[in-house]
Amino acid sequence: MRDRGEDTPVVDPPRYPGTPRWAKVFLIIALVVVPLFVGLLLTRGPGGHAPARHMPSGATGGHASPGTGHR
Amino acid sequence: MIMSPGLRKLALTTHVTSSVGWLGAVVAFLAVAVVGLTSQDARTVRGAYLVMEPAAWLVLVPLAFASLLTGIVQALGTTWGLFRHYWILFKLLITVFVTVVLLIYMDTFNVMAGVAADPGADLASVRSVSPALHAVLALLALLVAVVLAVYKPRGMTRYGWRKQHEQPRPA
Repeated sequence: MRDRGEDTPVVDPPRYPGTPRWAKVFLIIALVVVPLFVGLLLTRGPGGHAPARHMPSGATGGHASPGTGHR
Repeated sequence: MIMSPGLRKLALTTHVTSSVGWLGAVVAFLAVAVVGLTSQDARTVRGAYLVMEPAAWLVLVPLAFASLLTGIVQALGTTWGLFRHYWILFKLLITVFVTVVLLIYMDTFNVMAGVAADPGADLASVRSVSPALHAVLALLALLVAVVLAVYKPRGMTRYGWRKQHEQPRPA
């Protein structure tokens, strides 16, 4: 069996062409949207609002209408 | 492990069915959310928010996981791989993100159902724009995933490039 190192030249792989533009745009959008969502989640609770806001007024003594309170 | 052609077609069929089914279910949810926001009939409004939670558990969540898992199987069982091409990687990220958001949102469905079931709650308290908003956002994300799946835009990750041009090992 031949020694690979003597008879088979090792060819350098072609250079990586880089990340395509569409993928970079996608990543930028994701880097904006995901932290925004996480921020909303942390500050306002699941669904972008605190669940307690949906409780009837009799239970909490008054609340803002969820239909108008979303931003 | 590369799948046989028959198994590959079965996996692809399962993935497309669950993914498009998920998208269709989100459209249906959007319709229910719009009904909840616009109907003038109290029973209809309450019914819309009452049905969302069980429907989400029975339809949305299973389809989300089915889409995610079949997509992973489809990627790993073919030469496409899961991390070699950007379109596949981004589809994976979209699916994971939307699934996580859905699971987090289940608590909101539960709260809204509780309010809808309370006869003392007025309609203004029952109505919420949140389900419609989330359905629209989910729909947009899933549509992006569909576009990526159909168009398969070119572009390999550095890992994929390296794997594609690895020197074959000697026998």
